[in-house]
Amino acid sequence: MTKFQRLKRILFGILMILVAGVMVEFANDAYMVILVFIGWGFMVSGIGSMFYYFTMARFMVGGRRALYIGVILMDFGIITMSLSDVPGMYVLLYLAILHAFAGVIEILRARETMKNGSKHFKLKLSHGIIDVLLAICCIVFIKNTKIAVFIYSFGLLYSGIMYVISGFRRTAMLQYIP
Amino acid sequence: MQEDFHYYATYCAAFLAGFGHEDSLDICYSAQFVDLCSRTLLLKIGAPQNAATTQLQLEMMDASTDVLSLQDITRIWASFHFLPRDLYAEKAKRTKRYMDRYRLICGPNGELLKKTVELAKGHGLQHAGIAMHVLADTWAHSNFAGTPTLVINNTDEHFYEFREAAGGEANGNAGTDLDSDSEGTWVKVKFRHSPSEPDDVEKGLYSNSLFQGNEVSIMNLGHGRAGHFPDYSFAKYKYLPAWGDYHELIKDNPSDYRKAFSQMVYAMKFLKGSIDLFETERYEEEVPEKYGERIDRILRKRQINACADWKEFGEELSGQEIPDFDVEKYQDEYSKAGKGEKDNTFIGRFIKGALAQKGMVTGEIFKSGNMIAGFSKAVPKDKLSIKNFFK
Repeated sequence: MTKFQRLKRILFGILMILVAGVMVEFANDAYMVILVFIGWGFMVSGIGSMFYYFTMARFMVGGRRALYIGVILMDFGIITMSLSDVPGMYVLLYLAILHAFAGVIEILRARETMKNGSKHFKLKLSHGIIDVLLAICCIVFIKNTKIAVFIYSFGLLYSGIMYVISGFRRTAMLQYIP
Repeated sequence: MQEDFHYYATYCAAFLAGFGHEDSLDICYSAQFVDLCSRTLLLKIGAPQNAATTQLQLEMMDASTDVLSLQDITRIWASFHFLPRDLYAEKAKRTKRYMDRYRLICGPNGELLKKTVELAKGHGLQHAGIAMHVLADTWAHSNFAGTPTLVINNTDEHFYEFREAAGGEANGNAGTDLDSDSEGTWVKVKFRHSPSEPDDVEKGLYSNSLFQGNEVSIMNLGHGRAGHFPDYSFAKYKYLPAWGDYHELIKDNPSDYRKAFSQMVYAMKFLKGSIDLFETERYEEEVPEKYGERIDRILRKRQINACADWKEFGEELSGQEIPDFDVEKYQDEYSKAGKGEKDNTFIGRFIKGALAQKGMVTGEIFKSGNMIAGFSKAVPKDKLSIKNFFK
């Protein structure tokens, strides 16, 4: 990893942690911010997919798929950001679906890893269980928009910490006799 | 390639190149050990993990795809299993990011192969075995890259294998190019994502990795998208490589494996000192003349592995028994050796060869302006030993 890549990961991680903190502090007004974040998330993914198409996938057999995915994700982003006046419960519902899906996938992956005899399934399983629990929280507290802010902030905090840790990983240098 | 070629066929090639029975066994053991020397194994025997020459399926499942992990994966797979053919290949109107991956496409007779064989000269039988593994795989793994990349390694529905008509071999078709209707047919290959089920060569059912749209997903490493199919010596297939601009590519394994075998004999004659120069595109000519028909028969037989046939051939050549490959054969010797003695054990010498090969390939990729495999650093002979690795 170059110094720039390392710095980028650490700064991005710190930024995520700070945003999570600010959102918890101003939980009453943070609901709109979440919508913007989710919308931006889709937009960035869509633009990323289109960038991937124009720089890489357009040279590949069947690569147009990346372009279609990019356009669809961008559309989702635009729609999400235009939902400024929808009731908060829809955002919670959206978060519930997102976490439930991610959780089930993680649990299935953990199960497959365990079936193959690996001991490294516990972290995946705990991620999956936490995601499912968050999904349940979203549904239980569907009338309380503040909960959406806490759940979203918790996810941001976790991702931020992981980013910072990954920025400190050592770069392997291979030594050999020529 | 699999154990049949890396172990038994390499033994045959070493013996035909002039090595004795015991030396041939050491060479072919090292060639096969490349497919088993994972981090898990090195951890178990207390050896430096940088020397890993392969990754177990489980290790790959747990590997992430950030920059550092990708460099680690590429160092292993490009150095030992998918040696790049041309690190300076050109293709018009492509981005650098694309070309960094395109230039890692594996293929035979590249400049790196010459460097691989030359590097092994004078460094013992273990290093010779490593070089033979790399050489053989340049033929089997052609057209795929040793890094996770969708834009290079993906395959799609358009994938057919050529099935010889019944009695093809008996009718004397062995050794000829078979593609007309009278000699056989092109049959669509059915891939399934079921790693626990063995391939069914009769029904044409093969396991492959899942399609993942993520460019650097581990599923897009090497020939994962085509499963084990490209490793079978009998396979003759046509498909649309992701990088091939919609041009159909025909890969004829029996013909390529024949060349691989002849080139191994030629390379090992160089390593033994019988010839002074190793050049690419050169093959041992006596082998096809004398044993061509026998080798063809083994290569064309539709079977999951051809160990028994190659073993029989090898034992006929040397008149000696070839023991089955035993992965644990030299592990105790290494584990129990003192720190100063480890370098001189069988696995110690293998590790030195593996580090040299990995370092050389990583360094060459880096020199070409490509950061996918990371960095390497050459150190003077007296400064590097396995003992120093622990420091």
